[in-house]
Amino acid sequence: MKHKLLIGVIFLALASPAQAGPRETIMELLAAEAQVANSSYSGFSAAAGEALFLATFTTGKPETTSCTTCHTNSPSNVGETRAGKPIDPMATSVTPDRYTDQAKVDKWFRRNCNSVLGRECTAQEKGDFLTFMINQ
Amino acid sequence: MAVPKNIAKLQVRVWDLPTRIYHWGQLILVAAALLLGFFGPEWWLDAHVYVGYAIIAFIVFRLIWGVWGPEYSRFSNFLFSPKAVIAHIKKLVSGRPSHFLGHNPLGSLMVFALILILALLSISGLTVLGGVENQGPLAGFASFSLGTLARIGHEFLAYLLVGMIVAHIFGVLFESYMSKTSLTRAMVDGRKPVTEDQRPATLYPVRKEGGMIIAFGVICVIGAVGALASTMPASGLIAMPVNESFQSECADCHQVYHPSLLPRESWVSLMGNLSDHFGEDASLGADTTNEIMSYLSRYAAQAWDTEAANFLSLVDEKHPFQITATPFWISRHANIPQEIFRTKPVNSKANCSACHKDAAGGMFADQNIQIAHGQN
Repeated sequence: MKHKLLIGVIFLALASPAQAGPRETIMELLAAEAQVANSSYSGFSAAAGEALFLATFTTGKPETTSCTTCHTNSPSNVGETRAGKPIDPMATSVTPDRYTDQAKVDKWFRRNCNSVLGRECTAQEKGDFLTFMINQ
Repeated sequence: MAVPKNIAKLQVRVWDLPTRIYHWGQLILVAAALLLGFFGPEWWLDAHVYVGYAIIAFIVFRLIWGVWGPEYSRFSNFLFSPKAVIAHIKKLVSGRPSHFLGHNPLGSLMVFALILILALLSISGLTVLGGVENQGPLAGFASFSLGTLARIGHEFLAYLLVGMIVAHIFGVLFESYMSKTSLTRAMVDGRKPVTEDQRPATLYPVRKEGGMIIAFGVICVIGAVGALASTMPASGLIAMPVNESFQSECADCHQVYHPSLLPRESWVSLMGNLSDHFGEDASLGADTTNEIMSYLSRYAAQAWDTEAANFLSLVDEKHPFQITATPFWISRHANIPQEIFRTKPVNSKANCSACHKDAAGGMFADQNIQIAHGQN
């Protein structure tokens, strides 16, 4: 399993030598992970990401039933934490430095998927989500 | 010297100008201090305190003037023995009181009592300021528990003072009626008519300048000592280094709460429950969690002696790390309309710094409260 992932990463790294930015690396890792998890993986979908972003869940914490609870229903809007602090818009077109730090991406998917969905997000979901945010 | 026949029309300058200025000035200051203390919002504390400083200066002046001032202002002029006081009361009860050019025995008692209570109010007030608010000349000396004790005394004395002022006004009106002389007017122009049973004034040599210079000097020295003492570090505060992880991780979602705002046990329990942090998963890596937990434990409420640390330590057992659930928080914010918390710019009860401009430092000084007004 692990070496499969590694091969996937190497393959992707070789396939796209011109794109070496941190965000691209994050996306490539997610793609590789998604591939490993699902052999019929056929790329990420911004539409699926949007659906995930707007969906309402009953499996997470009652205070946060949707991404939109804090992030508003548009990725270009400034969001607000439940404690009242502003959150930079999710779309990279408005906040260009988003999704460039692997640790941050991991931290927030871990926390927020657990808060909203009540479970970890799959690589497919994460990839769809980020694709939606990057293609705004 | 023979007593003139038309003595009833003779007037004697009883109250010198500084004494009259003292009287009416103290009236204005005490009225201001009482109104500010009872009715002023907390953020006007500075006004109450500065009026208090002025009252102290006036008391010091009056004490010195009582020794080095002109005759009728001297304490020696109206120091009566208990016997004399009782004799005066007996005459009063019989309806034939004797009148005095200066203070009568009961008026004298009131003068001393008022000076004493104002001095006690000043001392207790400074102790509250230093012990509870960690401000002023006693901040470096007074503990929080001493400050809260002093606050009980300060409030009690304030009510007592109101009662004494009522008694004082009643006494003046009564004496004015009995002696057919307006004592209030005498305190304005300083003159009182001489009546037959009054001895002519045996004036001390008036050394106004001397008394003034001494009073001015002493007030300056006391002021300087007070100002110097005010620069001392407050006894309730400790030096706390900045922890980067604490600052940045917590500030991701909310303002950074000062470590003194919860007791050690609460911080440990909070850091152990980050995956369900006020209804959200706020989990951190183990290293970061431990680093922040030990920082918070070290600088928790127990390490401080501020008003916030002392009161917020008394947490609600059901919500041990929710500051807004502490009985103190609830009672202190009871008069604030819920609407303010819900609307911009506050948005949430957790947003301390929306109104407490010094929340980040954990001080929560009364003067730094600015109630945020809704923009909706």
